[in-house]
Amino acid sequence: MAYEREPVVEGVDGEVAAGQSVALIGPNGAGKSTLIRAVLGLVPLTGGTIEVLGRQPQAARRQVAYVPQADTLDAEFPVSALQVVLMGRYPRIGWVRRPGTADRQAAARALAEVGLAERGSARFGTLSGGQRQRVLLARAIAQEPRLLLLDEPFNGVDALSQDLLLSALARLRSAGAAVVMATHDLGLAHLACDEVCLLHRHQIGFGPIGTTLTPELLRATYGGQALQLRGDGVIVARP
Amino acid sequence: MSLFEPFAIPYMLRALVEVLVLGALAGAVGVLVVLRRLAFVGDALTHTVFPGVVIAHLLGRSLLAGALAFGILTAVLLTTLGDHRRVGNDAALAILLTSFFSLGVVLISRTRGFTADLTVFLFGRVLAIDRTDLVQTLVVAAVAAITLAVLHKELVLRAFDPEAAAAMGYRTRRLDLVLNLLIALVVVAAVEAVGTVLVIALIVVPAAAARLLTDRVAAMTALACLLGAAGGWLGLAVSYEVSVDHDLRLAAGATIVVVLVGLFLVAAVLAPLRRRLAARGRVAAAEAVR
Repeated sequence: MAYEREPVVEGVDGEVAAGQSVALIGPNGAGKSTLIRAVLGLVPLTGGTIEVLGRQPQAARRQVAYVPQADTLDAEFPVSALQVVLMGRYPRIGWVRRPGTADRQAAARALAEVGLAERGSARFGTLSGGQRQRVLLARAIAQEPRLLLLDEPFNGVDALSQDLLLSALARLRSAGAAVVMATHDLGLAHLACDEVCLLHRHQIGFGPIGTTLTPELLRATYGGQALQLRGDGVIVARP
Repeated sequence: MSLFEPFAIPYMLRALVEVLVLGALAGAVGVLVVLRRLAFVGDALTHTVFPGVVIAHLLGRSLLAGALAFGILTAVLLTTLGDHRRVGNDAALAILLTSFFSLGVVLISRTRGFTADLTVFLFGRVLAIDRTDLVQTLVVAAVAAITLAVLHKELVLRAFDPEAAAAMGYRTRRLDLVLNLLIALVVVAAVEAVGTVLVIALIVVPAAAARLLTDRVAAMTALACLLGAAGGWLGLAVSYEVSVDHDLRLAAGATIVVVLVGLFLVAAVLAPLRRRLAARGRVAAAEAVR
């Protein structure tokens, strides 16, 4: 996978099963976002193949939902939380037509899933960072995806939002969706995921979180900035 | 001042229809321009259609056709150049704006009596619009309005969250081209009436005023259409009144822009009031829930 001619990520090899959850872990610039964009079919591959639900990434987009970081979006944009969630229905609705009753109900249900049933009419930008992240997850839920891709979903998110995000993700997985999330937070990776992919320009490890998130591999990923504290607790220091 | 009496005169009525259609269309497209922060793109387009207008004038062809050709050319160039990593959007805009505009000035400076022509192209002549001009404007406006109706929700999604739009499978570059073409169509449709310099006011001012008054895209679009049309109507009425009754010649196109800015100032004064009312509503709702 590469932008222009410089490869960004190399040697990634792994599989995510339905109902499974994988954490992409690595320092800034390790290629986590690029890997996500490649699975969406938005980045050209220099070699190898990516198969999503048995198809080319571009052909599978209808069943894949992407959740960006909430703070990358314009907080002044004049849309309500419910309207943001409704956007997840647009590919189903198609051109010209407007969202119908079924779409509105699906959007309202998705908002309720993330504990924001009462805030549907609030302007997106007036919500807290954690609430905005939950709205974006609700938009992904409204897409009824079989694969969910999240970019740093817990960045700047309060404890309540974190719990609500975690339980909504768990429900999606028990309904059979696969989840892939880029994250810095090893503790949350433990809570939310059962597999881990360690990345730093290339794949350092891929496997069950208990056996892959080892001090040696973390040190290899973060370049000696990983400190181990008492057994399985690991703190990563970023320069 | 009378809002209806002047429009009994045929040329005033034609001008009224022209500015009502233009005001509403520019308002609707302007909402997307304001949300995407593309006012500078609109401004560049207003300058780049200028050589098209001049060439059409020199060849004795329809000004609208000339403007249309250059408008489409710019929209395509903008979308492709803007994607070029090393050039970037703002530099691409500046290059296109200045090169096209100077081409227009060079061409027109070779004709005799060119200052008079220049004034018309730059500031329009809404009162001299004939039936053909009006029909042309209506056709261009209809094309733009239909395009907007078909793609509105996708254009809004792309404005709000381009990454997610691409992830959902929308071709964001094509949506960008569509919006650039829409802006070009508005500019082209308005060139005869208000000239190339003032079009940008029709696009940006009503939408910016509407943004101050509402937090919803749909309401913002309705308000921007309304404000754009109202500004056109009021502007024409004021310029007629002052010119005829007080013998002070007021250019109609420029008066419309002044009225629009006036409406924007009113909206700016009302905006804090509205926000306070909305906040009070929220508190009341929260208490009701408790």
